[in-house]
Amino acid sequence: MTPDRQLPGADKRVQLMATCLCDAFYADTARAAVEVLEHLGCTVEFPERQTCCGQPALNGGDWRASRKVVRHTVEVFAGDLPVIVPSASCAAMLFHGAPLEFEQEPDLAAVRQLARRTWEFADFIVNGLGVKQWPGRFDGRLAFHRSCHARGTATGAAALTLLSSLAGATVVPIDEAEQCCGFGGTFAVAFPHVSANMGALKLEHVRAARPDLLVAVDMSCMMHLGGLAEAEGKPLTTRHLAQVLRDALGQGGPR
Amino acid sequence: MARQSIDAFIAALPAEKRAAVYAGTKTTHEKRAQLLLDHFVDSDRLRRWAGEIKQHVLENLDTYLPQVEAKLQANGAQVHWAATADEACAAVHQIMVAHGATRMVKAKTMVSEEIGLAPYLEQRGMEALETDLGEFIIQIDRDHPSHIVRPVIHKNRAEIARSFEREGLGAYNDDPETITRRARQHLRPKYLAAGVGLTGANFVSAESGRLVVVTNEGNSRFSLAAPRCHIALVGIEKLVPRDHDLALFLNLLARSATAQNLTVYTEFISGPRAPGQPDGPEEMHVIFVDNGRSAILAGDCREILRCIRCGACLNVCPVYRQVSGHAYRSVYPGPLGAVLSPLLAGEQFAEMADLPKASSLCGACQEVCPVNIPIPDLLLRLRDRGKREHAPAAAAGTPPMGAWALLAAQPAIWKTALAAGRILNHLPVKLIPVPALRAWVARRTLPAWRGGEFRKWMRQRRRS
Amino acid sequence: MSDSRERILGRVRDALAPLPRRAPLPDWSEALAVRRGTREAGDLWALFAERLKAVNGTPLTAVPDLVALLEAGGWRHGYCDPALWPRLRGEFPAAFTVETEFDRRRVDDYQFGITAAAGAIAETGTLVLSDRGTSCRLGALAPWVHVAVLRREQIVADLPAAIAALPADPNVIWVTGPSKTADVEGILIEGVHGPGREVALLLAG
Repeated sequence: MTPDRQLPGADKRVQLMATCLCDAFYADTARAAVEVLEHLGCTVEFPERQTCCGQPALNGGDWRASRKVVRHTVEVFAGDLPVIVPSASCAAMLFHGAPLEFEQEPDLAAVRQLARRTWEFADFIVNGLGVKQWPGRFDGRLAFHRSCHARGTATGAAALTLLSSLAGATVVPIDEAEQCCGFGGTFAVAFPHVSANMGALKLEHVRAARPDLLVAVDMSCMMHLGGLAEAEGKPLTTRHLAQVLRDALGQGGPR
Repeated sequence: MARQSIDAFIAALPAEKRAAVYAGTKTTHEKRAQLLLDHFVDSDRLRRWAGEIKQHVLENLDTYLPQVEAKLQANGAQVHWAATADEACAAVHQIMVAHGATRMVKAKTMVSEEIGLAPYLEQRGMEALETDLGEFIIQIDRDHPSHIVRPVIHKNRAEIARSFEREGLGAYNDDPETITRRARQHLRPKYLAAGVGLTGANFVSAESGRLVVVTNEGNSRFSLAAPRCHIALVGIEKLVPRDHDLALFLNLLARSATAQNLTVYTEFISGPRAPGQPDGPEEMHVIFVDNGRSAILAGDCREILRCIRCGACLNVCPVYRQVSGHAYRSVYPGPLGAVLSPLLAGEQFAEMADLPKASSLCGACQEVCPVNIPIPDLLLRLRDRGKREHAPAAAAGTPPMGAWALLAAQPAIWKTALAAGRILNHLPVKLIPVPALRAWVARRTLPAWRGGEFRKWMRQRRRS
Repeated sequence: MSDSRERILGRVRDALAPLPRRAPLPDWSEALAVRRGTREAGDLWALFAERLKAVNGTPLTAVPDLVALLEAGGWRHGYCDPALWPRLRGEFPAAFTVETEFDRRRVDDYQFGITAAAGAIAETGTLVLSDRGTSCRLGALAPWVHVAVLRREQIVADLPAAIAALPADPNVIWVTGPSKTADVEGILIEGVHGPGREVALLLAG
């Protein structure tokens, strides 16, 4: 599924796509991603004119609208630096969804060029930078939610490699772990009953594992599951992998 | 915003139906995964090969179809072609009339459901009796199957027992073994009294012309042992290039469908009975059915024609498992149906254009598909088509993306929105001016709006 | 009808004409597509017997064992392929009634049916029956107990070998255990329309 990507240069300069959800809600996830990448010796550029990867319109069915946003994104991230994305779904949009909707378009080549430079965050750390062991400490029971857009990519394995290497952390398995949380983008609002049922079921499985927190590589899943849990009156602590890795450096635990 | 019918369906679905479907699918899909892992070094490669073989056949059907026709004829079978559902039904009817038969026993074939064969024959005074236990129950209940492999996955034993009692098959008894024995006793004389046995075909080899029919119950064998005339309904996409390839498909099919290594019966049929054999059909007819498949072949979703009807995608689909098969309003439910049913609908595409929307695009279906159909990509293509053709069923419930694109293609407007969004932290949910957001907060708490915070932090970090 | 044929084939040709290239037929590896542990097995009968038992079939190697099984089940009235009966009759006690012609008007009289196998597959515990090798289809299918008489040389290792060995016969059936269904609440019940007991009897020569 993932195309062959170019590895970072010796100077480890990269561009960060913060994603629209982090832009709007999850500022700390984006911050943690920057801190982690810099800890690993990367110089992180943040092109200010970035907005969104275009996925909502793709899965909403409006390819024309989606292409407008993708074109903007391609232009904003022009160049040949690796683009790091702390979201498996946004990364998959760039390396799979965008080429799909640009099949018949004259600027397909530019879209493909960006696709080849796009790395999901965990995948980049383990397979781009070759880091398989994370220093520091993070105490607690961690349940990992591998979002669906990580299917067929190296992301899930990469995230588990890093989490399992954390001193003090116990990664607990979740029953039916591969079943979708029910977010699905516009699906969540177009099919509210189905989406909420899927989420409730996922929460049941997560709670049965009694984790201290739920870790993900996609804040969209966390927005859905965390939001459902809170509305149920039984809030769930959710974190992005980047936050866990950053906190581990500061000798952290669940906060 | 108008509501999606599949969402409304699940809101009304009784909890025990949902539980029955959920439990039934869970066991099968977990066992399937374990079997493939235990038995093969790299089952993903097997799936990819099987997918490539099927894609090759589809893209060379213009050569393979005449080839298989010639083989079948050389084997002594008569070959018919039906462009539409009506033509297929009429062809079956004509063969029965020519044979002097008024009673048919049918093994399970989804194509026969697709073309509405049983009602067609019944309206013309003929009996078309289902012999697969699940389909038999559906028939006596005047119901529709809700799963392509487990037709009554949505029924429990008590319902089935009541149906049997109502049909005069004995006093109420919900023991599954008793139910099965009763069906066995009831159907035996029917097989022997029927003039025609109807089957489908899981595969047809273009090399030898053999039809391959897989079952567990023995109903297909019985339909071919007692009656004197065999009719096989076969979708034009069911071909495989060589006999040899069957070894790969057969090792994938039953594991994917029912978590068995092989079904109990795998029949290779290449003609009417051998001379000297007292039982079996003297005549064999193969009806190749198009009914919209050639149109799918011409489009950009032709990969769906690889499907070998195993049902693995249904068993793993988190949406199917919640809503169950009847929500899809068609013969083919689940991920398969979400792609196939709107396409088979032809000019009525718009009426089924909501099916491809009823998915979170999780991709589990593609991962389990024994022929590696890229179902999520096909769903995306159909969503695009639903939008371009302005199908209201597709649009229901979806926020307008044009406005979104405007926002997301203009950084200055985007940044303004990031700042303005702070109002969400203070606004009562009922007053949120965006319908999609209101729908969201109906069930989920929205996180605190932090628009602009990261960007500010990043700018400050750069300065220091 | 030939009009429909032309319409369908014409549409298929038109559908495929724009394709710049047609998907090629891949080479696939038999070894990877065969169940693990199959090709390494030394004794094909032993592997076949193991896999047959795993699907609730019954492998036997001596006629007295078959008689004992039938007696234990109370099955004393059956059908046997007339070509096989001379070899078996000596071992069957007088209490048995075995017909060598199957009367389809009395289908339910026959509690067991003995027919010849045309082959077997060790990988899956499968018996192969063919039209020319099976004296009558109903005799192998309708009775509660089916016995397939097998010779060692008839057993092949795996599916690819079994496909290559498919006899030129209008009706070849692979039988893997007794008939079954799980239609009622997913609960497995054996003996639906076909036999509830499937026996493989290995005989020498």
